Amino acid sequence: MTLDEICRLLEGEFLSGQAKRGEEVSIVGATDLMSDALAYMKPKSLLLTGLANIQVVRTAEMADLKAVCFVRGKQLEASVIEEARSEELPLMRTPFPMFKACGILWQKGLNPCF
Amino acid sequence: MNLSEIAEALNLSARTCKSAMDREVGGGYASDLLSDVMGRARKGDVWVTMQTHQNVVAVAVLKEMAAIIIVNGREPESDTAQKAEEEGIPLLVSAEPTFEVVGKLYSMGIRASSDA
Amino acid sequence: MEKNPHKDSDRDTRAIFISKVQELAYEMKVEQVMTPNAVSVPPEMRMDDLRILMQKERISGVPVVTGGAVQGLVSIEDLMNYLASDEKGRTVAEKMSKKVTTVFKDDPLTRAVNLFDMTGFGRFPVVDRGTGKLAGVITKGDIVKGFLKRLEVEYHEEEIHRYRASHFFEDIVADKATLTFHYGVKGGDFAKAGRASSGLKKTLSRLGIKPEVIRRVAIASYEAEMNMVIYSKGGRLSAEVTPEIIKVTATDVGPGIPDVEKAMQPGYSTASPWVREMGFGAGMGLPNIKKCSDHMVVNSVVGTGTTVEFIIGV
Repeated sequence: MTLDEICRLLEGEFLSGQAKRGEEVSIVGATDLMSDALAYMKPKSLLLTGLANIQVVRTAEMADLKAVCFVRGKQLEASVIEEARSEELPLMRTPFPMFKACGILWQKGLNPCF
Repeated sequence: MNLSEIAEALNLSARTCKSAMDREVGGGYASDLLSDVMGRARKGDVWVTMQTHQNVVAVAVLKEMAAIIIVNGREPESDTAQKAEEEGIPLLVSAEPTFEVVGKLYSMGIRASSDA
Repeated sequence: MEKNPHKDSDRDTRAIFISKVQELAYEMKVEQVMTPNAVSVPPEMRMDDLRILMQKERISGVPVVTGGAVQGLVSIEDLMNYLASDEKGRTVAEKMSKKVTTVFKDDPLTRAVNLFDMTGFGRFPVVDRGTGKLAGVITKGDIVKGFLKRLEVEYHEEEIHRYRASHFFEDIVADKATLTFHYGVKGGDFAKAGRASSGLKKTLSRLGIKPEVIRRVAIASYEAEMNMVIYSKGGRLSAEVTPEIIKVTATDVGPGIPDVEKAMQPGYSTASPWVREMGFGAGMGLPNIKKCSDHMVVNSVVGTGTTVEFIIGV
């Protein structure tokens, strides 16, 4: 599924990295703990998180994640978005809570990171 | 839907309050941030989290949640389990990650109550 | 059927090229490719004079401007229609198209690309968003030239980079060569935490180390760095790179770890609730480092500090 489709399903918006919105993702990890993301997430996967600080961008960079989607319409500091831009990392934001976002994407056949 | 139906469908094991498995589940909440759960979870929610620290029990009690599902094959710390038993909060564990557990709950019809 | 390797790699190259161009279309601004100080004409100019101007300048369309503001666009088609008719002595204002599509000079190129697609026009006047005045003209040709120039520059940079990476150790004449990189880490500075690991990751990538190796080094270094930021007064992250291994040493000044064995257990953590709310401190740091590395040692002296050292094979 492309990032664009995911963004549409979650009624979200892009905050950075729109140029990569046509890229595909098939694996999703949902966590607010970055160590968890670092330990279990696969390269090129999508991180769903309710954590909204600069370390989310760092984690995505270190673990070669494809994109990050913030849940619950989290507000982000401009510096976080700026950092994501310079790392060419797509950031999305959905108004849905984590539970609903996971439910929708899981039903569309996206896979978890085991 | 009650806890034992969920536990059976998702292959969860109960670690505490095994007698309270007939408790009804009203909705779901997924988060690893306690402040977030404090602010947004609803009474009767089943809470899906990675956190095993005993503070999760305190939050679940305060918000009158139905149960806590600890994911990713993690086990509650011993003082967490003890406190949950005392406070009457069922702790269930799953070998699967949040995305999978929530996906299955959602497909069983459980919804995020803060967004019903 | 046998796979044709050329075809496959052609397709890959094309796919990479297309996504690269899409990326550039978002990244680059109209003003980077437009023709600045483009020729413009006043509305009162006579069509016969316009003909001479267009022939001389070899252009196929001109913005019509008063006091810098765009009033319309007059194209070679308008001119030909005029010449084919019996009319005489008309002005540009009478023959120009008044419904003119403009773009702003700080618009992303993708906007211009989409507009060309939608309207089928050959050129758009470019306007300065602040002053509202004409800043230049953009054509499809400008966009193609802009892309090619940019891709050429990036291709050269990539080539130089690849050469450097693959030849780095070969060019060194020594029995044993080790490259060492040091990064300072400030304790308690959550906003800057991760910069050391980020710098190391970029450096390793420029050296041409394999991505899967870099990923392991990056994750382990980042966990070590976060530990320094969260628990210590700060310290230093160092990486030694040889043709065979990468050895990372994270040394901090701080309280030390009383029971290293316990700290290695997944889920064990002494983190404050605040740290937990920042997405760390779930007791996965040291286990993560161990998981990523081929060899790991923790040395800690309570009241003095901790050294975490790990080795990952290249």
